[in-house]
Amino acid sequence: MRKISALLALLALSGACVPPAPSAGPTPTGQASAPMVDLVRLAWADVGVPTPFRVSTAGPGGAVLLTLIYDTLTWKDERGIIPWLATRWEVSPDGRDYTFTLAPGVTWQDGQPLTAEDVAFSFQYYAQHPYRWMNTAIVDSASVVSADQVRVHLKQAYAPFLEDVAGVVPIIPQHVWAKVADPNSYDGPDASIGSGPFKLAEYRSAEGAYRLVANAAYFKGPVTVREFQQLNVPPETRLQAAQQGQVDLVFNTDASVRDVLKDHPNLSVFETPPLSIVRLAINTERPPLDRREARQALAYALDRAQIAQVVTKGPPIVGSAGVVPPETPWFAPGLPSYPYDPDRARALLGGQRYTLELLADPTNREPELMQPMLQAVGITLATKRVDSKTRTQLLREKNFQLGLVQHIGVGGDPDYLRRWYAGEEANDFAQGSVFHDSRYDQLGREQAAMLDPAKRKELVVQMQQILATELPTIVLYHRRVYWVYDRTRVTPMNTWGGLMNGIPLVQNKLIFLRR
Amino acid sequence: MARLTLRYALLAAAIVVLNFTLPRLLPGDPLDADAPQGLNAAASTLTAEARAQLRAYYHLDRPLAGQFLLYLEDLARGDLGWSISKSAPVSQLIGERLPWTLALLLTSLLVAGSGGALLGLLGAWRGGRVDQAVVTLASSLAAIPEFLMAMALLLTLSVGLGWFPLQGGRTVFAPTAEGPFGVLRALADVTWHLALPALTLVLATTTAFVLLARGAVRAVLAEPYLTTARAKGLPERWVALRHAAPNALLPVLTLFGVRVGQVLGGAIVVERVFSVPGLGLFTFEAIRARDYPVLQAVFLLGSLGVLLANLALEIIYRRLEPRHGA
Repeated sequence: MRKISALLALLALSGACVPPAPSAGPTPTGQASAPMVDLVRLAWADVGVPTPFRVSTAGPGGAVLLTLIYDTLTWKDERGIIPWLATRWEVSPDGRDYTFTLAPGVTWQDGQPLTAEDVAFSFQYYAQHPYRWMNTAIVDSASVVSADQVRVHLKQAYAPFLEDVAGVVPIIPQHVWAKVADPNSYDGPDASIGSGPFKLAEYRSAEGAYRLVANAAYFKGPVTVREFQQLNVPPETRLQAAQQGQVDLVFNTDASVRDVLKDHPNLSVFETPPLSIVRLAINTERPPLDRREARQALAYALDRAQIAQVVTKGPPIVGSAGVVPPETPWFAPGLPSYPYDPDRARALLGGQRYTLELLADPTNREPELMQPMLQAVGITLATKRVDSKTRTQLLREKNFQLGLVQHIGVGGDPDYLRRWYAGEEANDFAQGSVFHDSRYDQLGREQAAMLDPAKRKELVVQMQQILATELPTIVLYHRRVYWVYDRTRVTPMNTWGGLMNGIPLVQNKLIFLRR
Repeated sequence: MARLTLRYALLAAAIVVLNFTLPRLLPGDPLDADAPQGLNAAASTLTAEARAQLRAYYHLDRPLAGQFLLYLEDLARGDLGWSISKSAPVSQLIGERLPWTLALLLTSLLVAGSGGALLGLLGAWRGGRVDQAVVTLASSLAAIPEFLMAMALLLTLSVGLGWFPLQGGRTVFAPTAEGPFGVLRALADVTWHLALPALTLVLATTTAFVLLARGAVRAVLAEPYLTTARAKGLPERWVALRHAAPNALLPVLTLFGVRVGQVLGGAIVVERVFSVPGLGLFTFEAIRARDYPVLQAVFLLGSLGVLLANLALEIIYRRLEPRHGA
């Protein structure tokens, strides 16, 4: 215990090394402002070199870290899309031109002013050197209209643009990148200069640790945390690290943390909406699962509530047959729900017996739970356990019958419903889901171009109805992410539809600002 | 000597070919998403175009033979390539991790080697109950898999009692103090962090040294020169340490040399369990990510280490035992 206190003392000292701030320790300064905190430490992983061109795309961690260093034109709070670098925008009647008016007095972290030139340059540069986390191919051109206005011209009307492109793509400084021909290898001292609330102070590559310090000149007002650290802690010990006071923010998908920390003096648990999904990808081109009845039989045969309960140790959230998770903006209630009904499954199978092969990760527990349930209706489940890269390759090559996949990215803008089945993006998990339905494809194209939110919702609901009937994928359950946090240092928040394009992360930059 | 050099040169060439080929035989693609962060990002929205661009950037679009020639070209220039998963030069990434592996593995090897040899000598020399105890201890240690030992130590001493840190090689971002006091404090911090991983490695590698030293000493126990030494009236400890031990030491040194050669391969299991930022953990991550350039480089380093250690041993043997060279 003494050593831990010593460690804490050291860490507190490290916070004190940051340039002196007006006051030390918590200083409640009225209703509208949050108290100052010296240090917040997030336990996660190495997410690569923190520039838009070198950050890791293996998971969402890199893209999220960049949101603390860089800004985007729009942003999201708990309720929806909000102005950020752009204070307002106008959309042309055909939905192809967005004219953004920029906030005044924004500066880069090296003191240079952030201008309309920088914004236009960013989109032009990403056209040559793609931002790996978000596809900007929809942007045809970007041009400066006036000193504080930029017009982004799209190749076609694209409803998700404000949330998925303008709200995700980091705006980068022209004076840094204009001279860089190969951003994939650029490592100049200015490579991580953004306009965001935090400046990169240090990245320790071997240890995968990042130290960010508050940007004193941030255009959205004072940053309430002097230093933010992202530390590389393996998933197995993250909770213990929080319990021993070595980190202040960690996540978990196991609901039992709520009981573990019930009486903890300063740790609390924050639940996100169920933005993570566990589902069966189905190869609909291979018998017997090329038949809709066989897929429906599979759904009836599985007691998905029990599977969810056993694995997440929390109240089960049975998978929506329409894929979009409940509690998120685009969820369609009242879809066919396929409650556990082995008799109905047997009837749909018509007394036939089948053997199905399931691809799963070595650590997945679901196959053991599914196996007896399927056996009861005449389906023998042969589980083939492979690591995630192998599984991804087998799925992409359509060399599978059933694949158990779990992932995020289903809470934000619903255009992914179209992209998964359009084969348009190299989305590893979507590639395995093959689904041909002309009505669905048509609805997908219409919703992507529909700018009226109410009409778009109708189209997206219809898409979910088709999915729920045809079942090209069976969602076993939706998962919450449980964030353990030290309430004396940080207050997590839910972002509408998930951070950016549906990430169940709570370190929205708004929690580090006075609101 | 020329034949020896030729043999080792051929071996090195074979190793380069194997190291290039083996990682590419793994199923999976370095550009696919993975879940090393604990959340799968299925939403990774690399377009087919962006993916193709990245494939071309890393030359993954070329035929295998073309990739191999590029690799040889880079290697000839001393360039180990560019990591796909970490987006950084492989040589820089290895340079950052090598000191951790060296510190951890060399320290534990020294402790295990000397401690094990002494225990083996003690057992063989004393015989009877002492010998039984030594053999039992050594065999029990050998029976526990390394990962189990690591997990047990982590769970009891770090998670349970909190005496040791949960992970890492040092307190990250601890303030750096100036002067000798600061250096000492940093050293103490690293020692505290590496104590459990080093202990695991010591426990896991001691057995081989114990049994080898014991066997070697027992083999010389009946040698006439020991009888002569005793007949001269030398004390028993002196006979053991000055007469028996040196003659039994050769195989122990050999084992030590071989193990030093393996150091460059890192300790995958232990570094992974304790998150020591060394070459072992790096290799683990690279296998998972199918990061071909990293795998080529760490395998090359590891195998060259073994090769060099063997070469050195062969040369030393020729000096010590002229018959070896015949």
